[in-house]
Amino acid sequence: MKLHFTTNHQDHRVALLAALAITIHIIEAAFPSPLPAVKPGLANVVTLFTFLRYGWQTALQVSLLRVIISSLLLGTFLSPTFLLSLSAALLSLSSLFLLQLLFRQFFLHKYQPSAIGYAVIASITHMSGQFLVAWYFFIPHPGLFKLLPLFITFAVILAIVSGIITQLLINQIQQR
Amino acid sequence: MLTIGKVIFKGTDIIILFAACALTVWLYSTFWFNSTQQGEAEALLVQFADNPPTEYSLSEERVITVEGKIGSSVIEIKQGKARFIHSSCRNQFCVFHGWLTVLGDTAACLPNRISIRLKGAFSDYDALAGSQ
Repeated sequence: MKLHFTTNHQDHRVALLAALAITIHIIEAAFPSPLPAVKPGLANVVTLFTFLRYGWQTALQVSLLRVIISSLLLGTFLSPTFLLSLSAALLSLSSLFLLQLLFRQFFLHKYQPSAIGYAVIASITHMSGQFLVAWYFFIPHPGLFKLLPLFITFAVILAIVSGIITQLLINQIQQR
Repeated sequence: MLTIGKVIFKGTDIIILFAACALTVWLYSTFWFNSTQQGEAEALLVQFADNPPTEYSLSEERVITVEGKIGSSVIEIKQGKARFIHSSCRNQFCVFHGWLTVLGDTAACLPNRISIRLKGAFSDYDALAGSQ
């Protein structure tokens, strides 16, 4: 039996962006980090860029593909790491969606934050969502909360960096 | 608007950054310098895995031996303080942690899945522990 798929421009775009995100995710996983759960999160630059340029549907596809495929490649599929990664990806994307909706519906569009503001919000939801899932399902110990301020500090600093990268990327592409 | 090199921070970005900093400061003040945590530690909670913790009074001096996942951990209570004095684990982080003296102090042996924590008469953390 011969299977035949017809793909359109949108599918190619999703595949390209997901491939980029997966590559960054895997390279990042190879680097040691000072604390577990603290990663530069450069793969989220791709998600944020996709969200701001192509909308939430494309970003959702890209980020789900990234989480599932990179977990298959790293061997963490359906493990706690995978669940943390999936819940964090979904939460941070929904926070981006809500933030954009808020500025489109209720505030003036021109007050919309740049990629930096979006990155900070997404990163905080990402980290706190992941943290609550870890606390609720895996390590239900109140002592874990002593780590939360530290994690959020790293999340904010790294989000500013990835937000700046995303903004520069968007500026570069708009100039062409 | 604030421009640094090629990067432009919009007004909204700066508001979001301030809010994020405020959140971080609030988290530090809540979880690291908690005012409701002030007071005397009165008991030691010893917990193995997800089991409900066992409570020991800090007023009587004693040595407790707890069976964990990989062996036994020995915990000493003396002069209102507590510490791990022996553990079957390889790294011995719990033993090197030393004395727990202040309310809310925590030490844990992850390989053995045993954690100890100082508890007061009234502490916020107990509400969390109760919801487990």
